[in-house]
Amino acid sequence: MTDNSIVQAAIQLILLALVSLLIPASYRVIVGPTLPDRLQAVDLITTLLIGIIVMLALVEGTENFVDMAIALAAFAFIGTISIARYISEGRVF
Amino acid sequence: MLLEFLGVAALLFGLFFCAVGVLGVIRMPDSLTRLHASGKVATLGLFGLLLGAALLMPSTWLRLLALGLFVLLTSPVATHAIAASVYRRHEIVGELAESADPAEATDYTAVDVTAVLSRSRIQDIIDAQERALRHHAPDAKSKRDT
Repeated sequence: MTDNSIVQAAIQLILLALVSLLIPASYRVIVGPTLPDRLQAVDLITTLLIGIIVMLALVEGTENFVDMAIALAAFAFIGTISIARYISEGRVF
Repeated sequence: MLLEFLGVAALLFGLFFCAVGVLGVIRMPDSLTRLHASGKVATLGLFGLLLGAALLMPSTWLRLLALGLFVLLTSPVATHAIAASVYRRHEIVGELAESADPAEATDYTAVDVTAVLSRSRIQDIIDAQERALRHHAPDAKSKRDT
């Protein structure tokens, strides 16, 4: 979007750093001792993915990617709530 | 130029807090402290990224604001649901476990009727029902007789 090549390079480096943050975040999904730990790590990964999509919109200069981020946030909220209810109560509804 | 500099600074702020949150999720000792660390990613980290994106791409600030408000509303609810699942599964460890015993927790949803209504009020209700029965009973009895 921006013409300045230094700013564009900085944005791409930040996007690379955010994507590489997914690898240590998935450590807790694999190792996590209990089920709520894994759920919380999945929630953290989804939050990071929202940030990654926003950064991708910056790199590509496409504003419509932000709508994808909003949809991902909505579905991640529903999924986290339902799985947390399933863990704690043994049923979803 | 200044706007771009501020935007990159906000992006770096958000990236720093994302890294701190992921580090906390890996290194923290138990579930509830890990929830605290992952809350930092959802608020400070993501909001830094959104602020930077709004400064670098000003035409889309309204959508970014909507996304930020949505995350601000839903992230505490999701965190509370996960914390409640940790609590109900008796998985609290450390010094907090001595004070938090789910088996002895007060059940605020169960309402004791005798605590709400006093004994004389209950007696009043019973008397009124008996009076109503006496009023209706002869009628039914007379119908049965005839």
